[in-house]
Formats: sequence, structure tokens, C-alpha cells
Amino acid sequence: MAATLCVKLPLKQGWLPLTQCIRHGSKAVTRHKRPMHFLKKKLLAVTEYIPPKPVAAPGAYPSQTERVQEDNGLVLLMKRDLRNLFQDCKMVAVLQNNSISADDMIMLRHRLLKYGITVKFFPNQVMRSFLSDSVYYNMVPLFVGPTVLFVSKEPKVKEMLTTLRTSPQMTLLGACVDHTLLSAQGIASYSKLPSVTVVQGELVSGLTMLTSRTAGMLQHHPAHLSALLQQYVKQQSPDSNTEAASKAEEAT
Amino acid sequence: MAASRKAAVLLKTVKKITVQFCPFESNVRSTREFLAMVGSEKARASNMNCEVIPVVKHDKSEPLVDIMYTDGERLLMKGANLTSGEMLSAFQARCIAKDPQAKAGLK
Repeated sequence: MAATLCVKLPLKQGWLPLTQCIRHGSKAVTRHKRPMHFLKKKLLAVTEYIPPKPVAAPGAYPSQTERVQEDNGLVLLMKRDLRNLFQDCKMVAVLQNNSISADDMIMLRHRLLKYGITVKFFPNQVMRSFLSDSVYYNMVPLFVGPTVLFVSKEPKVKEMLTTLRTSPQMTLLGACVDHTLLSAQGIASYSKLPSVTVVQGELVSGLTMLTSRTAGMLQHHPAHLSALLQQYVKQQSPDSNTEAASKAEEAT
Repeated sequence: MAASRKAAVLLKTVKKITVQFCPFESNVRSTREFLAMVGSEKARASNMNCEVIPVVKHDKSEPLVDIMYTDGERLLMKGANLTSGEMLSAFQARCIAKDPQAKAGLK
């Protein structure tokens, strides 16, 4: 076949040599897929037909916007519970428990109940969704991982801290005391504050210190008072001593 | 977590673990998870002398895990950009490398 294809045409002037020695290969139309020349492959790849995408009819597919899952009954109940909790309780503390054992937990609960502090567990998701809607949205990053809530009607911070010192597995993260968000250090300093009556007494005494001193001086014996005033006048003006002394004598 | 399911956290070679973080920050999730895993009953049971100390701060500092080994070596892990799995695997690898008994036990 190769020999039959080696055709040698007479070389006339201006004619290209037509000796095409084609090696024996497959024919143009074969049963197997004939390997295409690389350039032809490239060309076909570049010039492939890209059909236009058919536009879906409106309403055929569901919309891509996220549908918020409606809360089921239990979640609503828990949220109502939480709302009441935040309204009634003055102190809400958040702790992380690194796997405290069951009997330790019972002991801790018992000790806290003596001071009126209840231990509450709520799922983090419910807590987060409730807090992000309410005023306390700044507490949301606290609720990650295993968390426990300590709630009480009265802010018994000192007692809580003493009870927690016995159990090292509970880590105090933060608390909301009297609608104020406190960090761990804030709680420690809050516990060190004296009670409200003591602080009020201190404030009142500080304000009335001057007036009480004046009142005390006036109630002394008048001779004592005049001596004091004379001394004061002498100290005030050491140059015009005689003038001051005469004025003082006129007064008395 | 997949990491803790493979092998319980062995604290035999560890003297002290200090985990400090600021809970109001948003990058402390992995550190808190690491603390929960390391402070678990199983982990604590493997070494009763090891102390796990969480420190809660409020100064916008990075979450930090400081592990003190019995031979004096310290491993510091800054958990701001690490996942809990990564921290745990790094910690476990170090522990196993230090403890030849555990290595032999596993093999």
C-alpha cells in the first residue's frame, strides 16, 4: 500500500514535488476513534458550542433566601422561662463547667441553695437566640461550650464566690448583676464593696464633716471660741497685728 | 470531637496547664473547647497531680494555653487562630513523644 501511494509525478516547471510518501495508517473512517492531530484537537476545544442556559420559569425553584425556622413549643417555653428569670432575678452568673462529677454537683447545688442561688441549665442555641433579641445581647459570646447559669433574686456575690472556691472545675465567666454586665474581675470587686447602708453613711458623714465641725466649735465655751478666733486672726495677718487685735477686742 | 475519640488525653507527663482567655471576645471558642476536653474526667483521671487552671481575663488579650511539662519544657499555644482539634493534636503528639511508655503501649 505504501508503494502504491508513492506516486512520482513528472517535475514540470513551477510544480511542487508531489512525492507524498504516506506511511500505512488507518483510513479516514475507522471503527475505533482515530487520534486527532493536536492542532485540530485544540481548535475543536476552543470552538466548542456553548448552548445558552434556559431561564427557569419564575416560581419553578424555591427562593434562595434563608427561611428562619420557627421555634417549637419547648423553645418557646424555655424563652418564656428565661424572660421571667431575667426580670425577677437580680443576679445571673454564667459559668463553664469542665465536667464536674455528679456528686460534686449535688454538693455545690446544696450549698448554693442555702443562699438562695438556683442552678439552671439551658441549651446554648436557645440562650443565644433569646439574648440577641433582648437587651442583654452583649452576653451572647459568653454562651459557648458547656455553660451553667447561677441565678438568684438577691445579688449574693460574695457567698457565691466562697462556694465556688471549693470546686475548681467551675470557671466564672461573667455575670449580670442589677442589669449591669460584669466580668470576672468586676464580680470580684463587686463582692469587695461594702453594703449600701455603709456607703450611704460614709457619704453623709463626708458631706457634713465641715458643718459638724463648725457646729461643734460654736457649741464650745465662748471664751474658748474667742481665744480660737484671736489666734486665727493673729495667724492670718502677722503684719497688721495691732489692727487685728483691736478689731478682735471690739468684737468681744 | 474526632481527636478525643481516637485516644484519651494523656496528662502523665504534664505538670500544669494554664488556660487564659477573655470570654467576651469572639475568638475564644477553640480555647474553651480545648479547656473542656483537657479538664474532662478521663483526662484528669490519667494524672491526678496535674493542675488545670483556667484564668478569665477581660483585657482583649489573645487566648493562650500554657502547658508546663514535668521535665521543664513549656508549650505555648495561642488559640486565636487555631481550632481545638489542631491544638489537641499538637498537645497529644508532644505528650506521646515525651512518654515512651505510652508509645510502647500504643504500638
